[in-house]
Order: sequence, then structure tokens, then C-alpha cells
Amino acid sequence: MEEVMNKLGQVVESVEKYNQFVLDQVKRARTDQKFGRDLLGRWNDIKAKIPTTRAPTGLPLPRLALPEIDEPGEIARFLFGEGLPGEFPFLNGAYREMYLEPVREVESFEKNGESKAKKIDKRMAQAEEPTRLFSGLMLAEDTNERFHYLTRHQRTHRLSTAFDGPTLYGIDSDADGVFGKIGEGGVAIDTVEDMVRLYDGFDLGSANFSASMTISGPAPIIMAMYIAAAKRRFGPNVIPKLRGTIQADIFKEVQAQNETIFPIEPSLRFLTDMVEFTTREMPRWYPISISGYHIGEAGSTPVQQAAYTLSNGFAYAEMFAARGIPVDQFGPRLSFFLDCGLDVEYIALARVSRRIWAVGMREVFGAGAKAQLYKLHTQTSGRSLIAAEFKNNLTRTAAELILAYMNATNSCHSNSADEPFTTPSEEWIRLAAHGQAILLEESGIFKHTMNMLSGSPGMKAVERAVEAAILDEFREIERLGGVLAAVEDRYQRSQIQNASHRYEQQINNGVRPIIGLNRYRDGSDDIPEVKLVRTPRKKQQLQVDRLAKFKKKNAEKSKRALDKLAAVVESGKNCFPELLEAVEVCSLGQITGRLQEVAGRFRPMV
Amino acid sequence: MASPIRILTAVPICDGHDSAINTINLEFIRHGIEVVYLGYHRSVGDIVRAAIQEDVRAIGISSYNGGHTEFFTGVVDLLRKKGAADIKVFGGGGGTITHQDAAAMRRKGVDEIFFAGTSLDEMVKFVHQRYGKPRGKRARAKTSDIELAHTLTEIEESRKQKKIQNPRSKIQNKVIGFTGPGGAGKTTLIDELVLRFLNKDRQTRVAILSHDPSVIGEGALLGDRATMINSQDDRVFMRSMATRGQAGGLSPATHDCLALLARSGFDYVIIETVGTGQEAMPFQKNGIVDQTVLVMNPDYGSRLQLQKIVMLDLAEIVVVNKSDLQRARTAHTEIEQRLEQNRRAQRLVDTVAKRHRDPGVDKLFGLISASDKSKRGKEWKKS
Repeated sequence: MEEVMNKLGQVVESVEKYNQFVLDQVKRARTDQKFGRDLLGRWNDIKAKIPTTRAPTGLPLPRLALPEIDEPGEIARFLFGEGLPGEFPFLNGAYREMYLEPVREVESFEKNGESKAKKIDKRMAQAEEPTRLFSGLMLAEDTNERFHYLTRHQRTHRLSTAFDGPTLYGIDSDADGVFGKIGEGGVAIDTVEDMVRLYDGFDLGSANFSASMTISGPAPIIMAMYIAAAKRRFGPNVIPKLRGTIQADIFKEVQAQNETIFPIEPSLRFLTDMVEFTTREMPRWYPISISGYHIGEAGSTPVQQAAYTLSNGFAYAEMFAARGIPVDQFGPRLSFFLDCGLDVEYIALARVSRRIWAVGMREVFGAGAKAQLYKLHTQTSGRSLIAAEFKNNLTRTAAELILAYMNATNSCHSNSADEPFTTPSEEWIRLAAHGQAILLEESGIFKHTMNMLSGSPGMKAVERAVEAAILDEFREIERLGGVLAAVEDRYQRSQIQNASHRYEQQINNGVRPIIGLNRYRDGSDDIPEVKLVRTPRKKQQLQVDRLAKFKKKNAEKSKRALDKLAAVVESGKNCFPELLEAVEVCSLGQITGRLQEVAGRFRPMV
Repeated sequence: MASPIRILTAVPICDGHDSAINTINLEFIRHGIEVVYLGYHRSVGDIVRAAIQEDVRAIGISSYNGGHTEFFTGVVDLLRKKGAADIKVFGGGGGTITHQDAAAMRRKGVDEIFFAGTSLDEMVKFVHQRYGKPRGKRARAKTSDIELAHTLTEIEESRKQKKIQNPRSKIQNKVIGFTGPGGAGKTTLIDELVLRFLNKDRQTRVAILSHDPSVIGEGALLGDRATMINSQDDRVFMRSMATRGQAGGLSPATHDCLALLARSGFDYVIIETVGTGQEAMPFQKNGIVDQTVLVMNPDYGSRLQLQKIVMLDLAEIVVVNKSDLQRARTAHTEIEQRLEQNRRAQRLVDTVAKRHRDPGVDKLFGLISASDKSKRGKEWKKS
């Protein structure tokens, strides 16, 4: 596997080449009269086609904001260097429209505002909400109840699932010493039967439903359980209709989050087995969410976060391509997940990432338009939230949300202000979700005009600096032999740890002002004494009992299924179809245990 | 000078949040504490076993993934059950542990829980004050592991000059010394060999004496356990030692500790030096070690460097680990030529220790276990 994953150097070259290409086009537009005239014509065409909309006050506005340029060289710089929203190289956005409400027409204000306004509301509700709801607690039925509560006012059901510690580590609830962790911090899943309970009452095959599962180490097993659960309820024909995302990001686990259960190479092999299956059989599924969030939360700088996320993404692309999956088949099924904090880099971090991804995928991997898109979910920074005078966290999160939407993120999660000291409570979760609604629906910042805040000189300065720093990181990783070699060498880990250490020092010595902590502290800590929702022992015991029943019922069958699974893994063939069989009769821990016998256990990096 | 305080730190099972504990470890060692770091995702049983074997004063647990009341209590209870209640427990979990939880945990025998906002200084001060006083007279050890651990402590703290007479006379075992430059993968290799020893038969018991560098009177991070997965087993007794200022890759107490382990009924005793340079010949004057293994990294520099590595003359087995690296074949050839100069039976093995079931490690295991009985009854030379 060492032979692959060293295309990062080519990515660097392709970005440098593309930048040169843009400069050449600028020059050409200024010297080649016909080319310049054509560009100007195209530019005027674009401008003429932009619809006009109105703010609620009646102020007319263009639906798309463009720089005020009429010189062919500058037009070339914009069109080639940035691209219109939804156009290569996608600096301004992967898609058009995004957060826009439907056009408010001129007449509606002049004649009868009310009837039109109603129409708008209805259409607004049909657009896909970018807000995501993350949940997972206690047992499957408890999380299920929570999912139903959270989606009660929503037309689309986009459920994001958190798992408890034992599940994240591929361990069964009856394992030695994990009893207290059952259902803590996420839902406990041991078997396909738990998975059936988890999404009970939701129409898994519906276009309005998607499930997101935040799990990486045992992701292929959990994925198989999800498919098996869907089959049990809706029959085999539901498989191609399933929509959702599973995190399955092994590299970031090794670099930052430490939830890896097999050695790196077999982990990547099981992942690729799953991706090969889902890209073929489940065209609407996102089998990997390439995540910088945890890298950022572990203490990296924003540039490190963006650089490692992108380079991990390119490494996966190389791996999937090496397996023989066509780039235009897996490319559109990759998605990304970034942290958004308050550092200045976040003004343009996702913009730059989108551009580098598009150029690299097109030039190095020969990807078509859909496989060039850096589709992004953002979460506001948990690390930026502070326990001291915690209500300030509302402001921090609000500022981060503005940055996230300025970067045209495709979806977003906002953290609760009480997160630094407790599992978020209902009150603060609501405030966090409403923060997004206030920004997108109440305020006029994002709903009237695309590119409302793009392209300021400051933003461009940040873009240039961030891009150069990301490419520098790429060069270093390439020098170390590519992503896999650098990961095994603990390069990213040590860089992240180092940055984290510096961040803490800067808080201590005041270089990083944290309001209410090291600046303007009034001495009173207003942390409320919280009552945490803990999983009752009775429920934990119920989970253990259910598992025992499942194991007893399937004792004979599970042995055979595990033997078959182990044989397929040994043979080197794609083991995902065998996993689909195994989850019918085996628990998560049984499967993990057997796979570890064959493939080994992950050796922790410290 | 009093011996440094030894504590063990770990993150509970199903929890990978190691950022806080990494920072705290560094702060502890900066303030003269020897920290045996067990790493993250560690079970109650692993933590208690390690704490007993290392005979630490206290266990510090950093928990961020919930279930802390059960986990901390589980550690306290198991320590009691094993007869090691003199090992104390403290810890923290940022905002995840409430004041009520902490009160309940204290009632059940946890010494202290630190909350979010506690400064590192406070934690260091706590450890010094609470665990810094010399131990009183110790109760009779309840198990042989505890007795062994206590004796090792006495040796290390030099309060007892162990008279070890003819230590190998009746014991049918084998002592293997591992040395080599830092980063060559000694710990991983040993852990992989341990897996094979344990699988060989169900009775095999292994002892490991592992070393990390430290300066006299200062702290040390004893981190080998953190990357070991197979050696967390009741049939493995591992002890981590800081060199406490001694050059050459071993500690002043190594000789006596090793001698004790060699007659304590283990089938294999493995000793691992700190990462060593060219000058080191850690086992030459020792006399206890039956077989020495030099673990090399393919990236040792130029061929000329090989001439300077004295251990290449002395080791029975030379391992080129990380033999999947590009330079490995060159390394193999150059080292092979270097060994030919010696004109004695030395073995050269290529391994990829990080790989599960690596054939190279199998081969090394074969070389070590095949010559098991060859040196039995060898006369002990006290140096």
C-alpha cells in the first residue's frame, strides 16, 4: 500500500499550474483582443441574466453579487480564478443558490404583499434545511424517541447519530469493564436488532430521509448493520434508495481521535471494501466523511486542519482508484467535515479547500464535474467554547456561524453554549439551532444574494496566505513519503499536539485573549450546577440482557458466519458482502474480535 | 537523594481523549515525577495490573467519555481485591464529571477529582504533597506479583541490597536483551514476540524490564506500555525503569532487578534498553543475558556508520526492522557484509513488526525459542 498515496506532489503541481494558467488568461485577455472581447461579452451576458429580488423593505437587489469589473483581464481573473458559484474552481460555492429564499418579485410588493409572502414561506419550507441535529443517548429506543421529537416540525428528516464508547471501539456492551459506559455520550448498538429499533418509524428509503452515523473504527460493520436493518423492515429493494453518511475516516482517527480498532492497513482495506460496495449498490450514500473537525478539536491550527483533511481526501481517492472504482463513481460520494472557529483563517478556509480539491481532482485524478465538488458540513468549534462566563459562547458560536456560511458550507451544526461543562441541555440546544435560523431566515445577510460577503480584499489576502500554507504542508507530507507514510511516522499527530500545546500556552500568557477567562474576567463563575442525564443502570442491564439473548439465539449460526467471514478476509476478496451476512447473526463485538484475530489490533500511537 | 515519585496515568476503556493527559504527563515529569503512561482505551484490569507491577504510589485517570463513576470505583475495588489498596486513585474529566459524581467517587475511595479550570500547578502540588512522603513499613504482599513488585521497588530505591546467590541455578528460563537506536521499533517487536510466547503454550510466563532515560533527581516518561497491546496480560509481568542518570541505556538498579526477575519463575525474561547510540554495550558486562538482539532501523546513515556500532560485534541476532522501507534492502546487504567481518555465528533477520503475523517476526521468534535450552545451567557471574 506504500506505493500508493503519494500523489500529493502532483496535486501541488496542479494547483501551481492552475494559478499560472489563471495569470496567463489574465494576460491573454489583455493582449489578445478577440479573447478579451469574448470574455467581456460573456461577462455582460452573465450580468444580464442575474434576476433581481427584493428585501422585505422593498430594496431591489441582484440575486448574485459580482465584482464591479469591466476590464477583460480582471474578468478573466474572476471567472478562471474563482468561478461563479457552482462553477469550477468553485471558490465561491459548490452550488448555486444555496441559502437563498425564492425570488421576491417586484409586483408582489406593489400589489399584495401578503399573499405572495405566504407563497414564499411555503417554498422556503421545501428547500433542504442546512441545519443538522446530532443525537444519541442511552439505548436505541431512547435515541429513536429523541429523533422523532427533533424532527416533529421538519419536513425532511436528517438524523445524525452519535454512538457510545463501546460501540465506537467495536466492543459489545457485555465486555469487561464497560458497563458504566453503555449509552453514555451516544447510543449503544450491539446488534442489528438495536439498529432496527434506532430508526424505527422512519421511512429509510424515502427521499426525505437521511441518516448520518458518526463512527469510524468499526464503520464497515455498523454500515452492514444499517443495511441489514433496512432490509428487515423494507425488503432488499430499499438498498439502492438508502441515503446518508457514515464517517469512516480512518486517517483522522489515527491522526487525532484515537478511535481505531484494526491496524491502519487492514482498516483501510475494510473501508475500501465498503466503499466499493456502496458506490456500486447505494448510489445515494456517502460512505466516508473526510473530517477535519476532530483534527481541529484536537488542537491543530486551521491550516493544518485544512491541509490534513484535503491530503487525507486525496489519499483516499488514490486508494479507491487503485481498487478500480471509477473516479466519477466514488468522487461524488465523498464529503467533507470541517471545524469553524474564530481564527482569521476561517474567513476563507473552506473556500480555499474547495478550490484545491476541485483542481486536484480534475487535474490529477481526471474527475468529472460532479467528482470535483468539495461538499462540506461544518460544525462550530467546540474547543472555542469556554466554561467561564459561558453565556459568551452564544456570541462565539454566532460569529463562527457567520464565518461558516460566508464559506458557503453545505450544511452546518452549531454547538450549545453549555457544552464546555455538560452534555448539551434542551434549552441551549434550541438556542444553538435558533442561532442558525436567525442568521439564515431572519437576517438578510445570506438569503437574498449569492456571494453577499465574498471577495473582499481581506478575504482574498487570507485566501492567498492559507493556500500557500496548505501547499507547504502538502510538500512536507510528500517529502515524508505520502500520507500513509507520514501518518505512520506520526507526523500529523505530532504537529497537532504541538499546535495544541502552543494554543494552551497562548491562553496562559494572554497572547490569545479569551473574554471572561484571561480578559475582562469579573471573577464570578456562573456555571450552573447541572443535572446530567445519565443512562440508568436498569437500561444498561437491559442492553446486556438483550445482547445475551441475541448471542444465545444465534450461537450456532454466528460461529459459522464468523468462520466464513474470516476465510473471506484471509482470501483478500471484498469482505463487505460477507459482513452483511455476518451482522444478521453476530454482534458487533463478535465480528470485531474475529477480524482482529485475522487482521490484528491497532497499536496505539502516543 | 530520595527516589522520584512514581505514578501511573491512563485513559479509560472506550475513551481516546488523550490530549489532557499528555499535557499533564509533561507537567508531572517536568516536576520530578516518574510517570508510567499506559495510554488510552485501557480497561480496569489492565490499569490495576500495570499499577501493581510498576508498584506506583498512585493512578491518575483522565476520563472524558462518561461512565467515570463506575470506572474509577472499579479501579479502587479491584486494587483492594488484589491486596494493593496502598495504591491510590485520583483523576479528572473536565466538565464531564459533576460535583455530585465527584462526591460519590470520593466516598468510594477515590482520593481526588480535579475539575475544569484546575491549574497544572495545583495537580503537581497535589501529587507531591499526597504521594511524596516515604512509604511506611509495607504489609505482607498478598500475591507473588505484588511481592515481586515490592522487592523491585526496594532494589530501585536502594534500601535493600539484595544478596542474590547463584540466581540461575534452578530456573529453566531464558533472558533476552533487546537494544538498538531509538525509533527502531524495539517495543513493538517485543510486544509482537510476547504474543507468540503467550500463544505458544498456555503456561508460558514472560517478564519484561523496560528502560526510559532520565536524569538524576528528575522525572521521566515511562511510555513503553502505552504502545503495547499484547503485553497487557496476567501472564506478563512488566516493569518500567528510568535510567536515573546512568549512561549506557540501563539503570543503576537494572542488574539486581534483572537478577531477581531471572529467578522468579518466568519462562522468558526480556530486557529492553533505552534507545542507544554507537557506544553502547549494555549487556556485555552483565552476564545474565543469554541472547542479545540488536534492533536496527534501515536509516542508520552511511555504511561507515555501521563500522562504529559496537553492538554489531556483540549481538547474537541483528534485526532490520521496518524492512518495508525503501532503504531496507540496502541496509540488509550492508549489515550482512559488516557481520561477515566478525566471523562468528550471528543471525540477521528482517522484520516489519507493525504488521500483524509478520513472517520476519515469526522467524525471529523461532530463533529465540529454538535455542531455549542451550544455555541452561550457565554459571552466574556476579559483576
